[in-house]
Amino acid sequence: MIGSRLTSISLLVVLVLIWEGWLALTDVSALLVPPPSAVMVVLWTGLTQGFLWPHIWVTVIETLLGFALGSTIGFAFGVLLSEVSFLRRIVWPYILASQVVPKLALGPILIVWFGFGLTSIIIITALICFFPLLENTVTGVRSAPPDQRDLFRVLGATRMQTLFRLKIPAGLPLILAGVRVAVVLALVGAVVGEFISGGQGLGASIIAAQGMMDTTLMFALFIIITIIGMLFYQLTIIIERRLLRGWQRRNET
Amino acid sequence: MTDRLSFLKIDQVGFAYHGDAPILADVSLSLAPGDFHCLVGRSGCGKTSLLKIVGGLLTPTSGSVSITGMPVNGPSRQVGFVFQTPSLLEWRTVLDNVLLPIALHRSVNPSDYDRANDLLSQMGIEDHAERYPHQLSGGQQSRVALARALITEPSLLLMDEPFAALDAITREDLQNDLLWLAQTQGTTILFVTHDIAEAVYLSSHVSIMQAGCIARSMTIDLPNRQQGGGRYHPKIIKLCNEIRAALMPIAGARMP
Repeated sequence: MIGSRLTSISLLVVLVLIWEGWLALTDVSALLVPPPSAVMVVLWTGLTQGFLWPHIWVTVIETLLGFALGSTIGFAFGVLLSEVSFLRRIVWPYILASQVVPKLALGPILIVWFGFGLTSIIIITALICFFPLLENTVTGVRSAPPDQRDLFRVLGATRMQTLFRLKIPAGLPLILAGVRVAVVLALVGAVVGEFISGGQGLGASIIAAQGMMDTTLMFALFIIITIIGMLFYQLTIIIERRLLRGWQRRNET
Repeated sequence: MTDRLSFLKIDQVGFAYHGDAPILADVSLSLAPGDFHCLVGRSGCGKTSLLKIVGGLLTPTSGSVSITGMPVNGPSRQVGFVFQTPSLLEWRTVLDNVLLPIALHRSVNPSDYDRANDLLSQMGIEDHAERYPHQLSGGQQSRVALARALITEPSLLLMDEPFAALDAITREDLQNDLLWLAQTQGTTILFVTHDIAEAVYLSSHVSIMQAGCIARSMTIDLPNRQQGGGRYHPKIIKLCNEIRAALMPIAGARMP
């Protein structure tokens, strides 16, 4: 475990060194491909002098708000649709259709409706998070084995008891897998939303850097976005482990 | 059998899924209090459907079921059910699983905890009370499922091949535990199995089911089974052969 982690870190170091060495040996313009050393300098000054932080916060807040909104609604709809099967049959094709539409293509119309800035970006992010939660909740809530459902019937459980004490807990591993997907998509949504509509944030900064042909800054921003994404992902994994202490058996099978 | 005091009465029950061939046809059965009644049959003979009808999980298309004279219209709290799989909630501890039937209807009080712990220790798994189901062996999980079914002290216990997935030795242990618990609590049991030896060893009555009908019912009268060794009593072997013959399409065709 530790060995493989060490190897994977050394792989990164080797790749970065090859990149640096290749640039030193050839005459590729630093304007097109910046050397890693220069990227690290920009990253470091950006973080220590603080001009990157406001953008980081904006993007983080958009990601979290969009994620919270989209996944809450997705979860609630998922529970509703899994419980009311006639509703599911009627609505499902439309939900599917809405997911085939590229959400970012909706960006311009959202900007017309909600204006440039935070609101539009949060809505785009929420739209992206909605579906993974919805789909996994519907599948998860319906995943309780027949014997367990019969058990709750035999025991005279009410519909609500069956939902909250059996179906949702039984589906939790799948629901949380949806959360994991949604968190990563939320960050993508926020960054790309900023491409279209943001004045602030990491995505908007990438567009601004592009305008100035500042590829070094662009790479620095990629690194920050990647780190934020990995932190979010790790956070959901930690939360998942906490919540799923008793579930191992199902995960194994 | 109709002359005996009837606790559970299954009266000319028929069952079919809409538009399909009937699964049960004209099944009648009567159990006296304290009976241990086994339904033996091949897969697909309708024995599980019959059990689910008695448990109120399925509604018969014809006929009726009554317990102490009260017709069965749905799940009842005096009936316990043990399924083919232990079907424990894997996110709850063993103790919480055992207490589930109570927790669904009222708050659990200290005497419930005492009773749950009692049941667990009677089955020798009291040390596992705070563990999660996945930390238990298959036999231990089946014991928890049995404890869960008994916590409400049901007067009728329905069991659907509960030990089918266990190894032979664990199964024998559980059979003995079950016999002992059933006798101390005076529970009436309707037990579905395809294992002839299990049926003969456990029960006071065996009914052989074939193609949705009861082909034959017999009373098993054995010397005291609690003294061990009874499992391989010549009389048991003889009864097993008799049942096996009755289950064969052509009587006695492939007797070992």
